[in-house]
Amino acid sequence: MSKLTLKAEGDTHIVVTRRFAAPPEAVYRAHTDPKLIQKWLLGPEGWTMPVCINEARPGGKFRYEWTNGKGGGFHITGEYLKLEPHSRIVHVERMHLPDPTPENHVETKFDADGTGTLMTMRMTLPDAQTRAAMLATGMERGMEASYVRLEGMI
Amino acid sequence: MELSKPFEMTQPAISQHLRVLEDAGLVISRVEGAKRPRRLAKAGIDAMDQWIAMLRKALERNYDRLDEVLAGIEHEKRGGRK
Repeated sequence: MSKLTLKAEGDTHIVVTRRFAAPPEAVYRAHTDPKLIQKWLLGPEGWTMPVCINEARPGGKFRYEWTNGKGGGFHITGEYLKLEPHSRIVHVERMHLPDPTPENHVETKFDADGTGTLMTMRMTLPDAQTRAAMLATGMERGMEASYVRLEGMI
Repeated sequence: MELSKPFEMTQPAISQHLRVLEDAGLVISRVEGAKRPRRLAKAGIDAMDQWIAMLRKALERNYDRLDEVLAGIEHEKRGGRK
């Protein structure tokens, strides 16, 4: 039921939409409760988030640390600017790769959609250098997977 | 100058758009006398495609997991098992 859309907005932003079967209260909670965040905000297969600190209040800070269990990892730090339960979250974040990337400004909205939720997330398009650094982090994982496949073939 | 002709935009406006594309690594320009011919930067466009594909894949995986988390919350609410 729930196809993700990802579109560029001008030269500077990316807008992502996704529908969920649960009401906005639940989707909002899953975005702000560290116990729940740790279960899904993990990116590619094989990554985990051993550290999830989240002060879900305006001005509150958060810190997410990811690891691929093979020595690879990075973290994100951020601050909440606005929290409107259960409809809107505005925050800034930067990735540490390990140098901090320019700030990513993110607005996430949760609108009731029948018995479910339409989520709309608007984020800053990172510059070319940041994109390359992000790609390097993700590709490390992809390359490991292909080495494993290769070993299986030999 | 030539690039602004097909668009209903002034030449300075076109130049500004081109500068954004150049800063993003999607367009390359060179100087030829008074002209500044541009060409598409294939490497930059490929890198952008790759990055978008990675982002899309990571988000799809995340939100599929979130579907399961949400199903768990709903189940907890209905089943009364806390």
